[in-house]
Amino acid sequence: MIARRRLITPRSAQALASVVVWGTTVAAVVILVLILVFVLGRGLPHVGWSFLSRAPVDSGRGGGVLPIIAGTLEVTGLGVAVAAPLGIGTAVYLVEYTHEGPLTRVIRFGTECLAGVPSIIFGLFGFVLFVLGLGLGWSILAGAVTLAFMTLPTIIRTSEEALRAVPAAYREVSLSLGASKWQTIRKVVLPAAVPGILTGIVLALGRAIGETAAVIFTAGSNLPRLIPTSLLEGTRTLSVHFYQLAREGISAENAYATAAVLVLAISLTNVAAYAAMNRFMRRYR
Amino acid sequence: MPDVSKLAIRGLHVRYGQLRAVRGVDLAIPAGCVYAIIGPARSGKTSLLRTINLLSLEVDGAAVEGRILVDGEDVLRGDVDRARLRRRVGMVFATPQPLPGTIHDNLVYGPRLAGVRAPSQLAALIEESLRAAQLWDEVKDRLHESASALSGGQQQRLCLARTIALGPEIVLLDEPCSGLDPISTLKIEETMRSLRSRFTWVLVTNNTKQAARVSDRTAFMLAGELIEEAPTGRLFTAPVDQRTADYVEGRFG
Repeated sequence: MIARRRLITPRSAQALASVVVWGTTVAAVVILVLILVFVLGRGLPHVGWSFLSRAPVDSGRGGGVLPIIAGTLEVTGLGVAVAAPLGIGTAVYLVEYTHEGPLTRVIRFGTECLAGVPSIIFGLFGFVLFVLGLGLGWSILAGAVTLAFMTLPTIIRTSEEALRAVPAAYREVSLSLGASKWQTIRKVVLPAAVPGILTGIVLALGRAIGETAAVIFTAGSNLPRLIPTSLLEGTRTLSVHFYQLAREGISAENAYATAAVLVLAISLTNVAAYAAMNRFMRRYR
Repeated sequence: MPDVSKLAIRGLHVRYGQLRAVRGVDLAIPAGCVYAIIGPARSGKTSLLRTINLLSLEVDGAAVEGRILVDGEDVLRGDVDRARLRRRVGMVFATPQPLPGTIHDNLVYGPRLAGVRAPSQLAALIEESLRAAQLWDEVKDRLHESASALSGGQQQRLCLARTIALGPEIVLLDEPCSGLDPISTLKIEETMRSLRSRFTWVLVTNNTKQAARVSDRTAFMLAGELIEEAPTGRLFTAPVDQRTADYVEGRFG
């Protein structure tokens, strides 16, 4: 009994907590590394220059993924390009132009609901509204706008937080120096919030690149041409390509190779964005 | 009758919701002097100051009654051009608040918004303002370095220079030396004294000694009301109101 009591001294509790916290961190890293090793280990041996620079042959049994990389960039790039101004504008409105009230609560609740909607529902919605309703067909445009809707909550939320983190004093100083409210936002508040806003855009981009369900219903799964002639052409993204190759049993090797390219693409986007962000912050401070 | 004061405040009330921060203050501040407003915390002096350039209305959501006349023109009328008013009535805040960017960026921010574009004109303005704020010798070789790398005292003088660069007629100072070292405090006080012919200075301060050192006239506020205002020498040596006497002698506050 006495021995047991001794076990739970603040000291031992402290030691135990350290071990537990340290252990969970290690577990998280190990899981991450396992996934990366699994995907890259199976995929990378099949990723070479020819895989990256050629079009798929025979439904992807042979050849490479170049047009699919292009298709991915088009759909996600356009999607985030549509979502970013909408999201940043909403965040500016919420932070700078309204006081906390019923309206802001409704808007915030709405965006949070939007964030909780499963991506396949977005896919279905995009299919009904854009592909059929507006007659866009399976297309880059329909896929991009669907992804824009899906990533909007992330961009609104992170932009809002970034704007709120800008010291109130900056706004007062700017106003006191003869700036209007909008000049203050444009010249002081937004530049100070850029690193945070960019983080949100990168998160959104990461989610968009990896998205499958929302895209397969809206951009379709047609093998794309390298350079599309119109935004109304159907296309196929890397994740959809992977899904098709794996599910239809077309080529396990090329499926893993595609997965490896996808993982690398997402990692590269993140690394590049963080590097750009660091540079911007150094320049701006 | 036209008001000859540079800045005249008539029956001013400032409220934040239920809180009545300023309760019926009348003040007349002549041109070309250092005018100090002293009083304990929550006496309404900062609210008064922030209302003169309409910051309390725009940022703090204050409700304001009364009149504030700058050269006889009421700035509380709805149609006043706020940007133009704030160039005429500059403000230095309690904590040094450089904007992100370089020393140069900070100084040209206001003038550029006012439409000054020519580099030579801006350069002249920068030198003049930094000299006026007694900062030129310390920063002339590093105008393109980050303003946040300066010491606190230098930052506050930069903020003063930034306000001077607007070419204001009145400069409002909200406890500008509350967190500064003695040397920077001295330099800011020297700036006020030496430039009193060019600007009308309104200095809100918790530091009665500072008010005694630099101001020509002093007003004492308590709980949102103006208790007494007089030439500084007289207010400190022969106050009329007992509360003023208690405060300047350090018996409360």
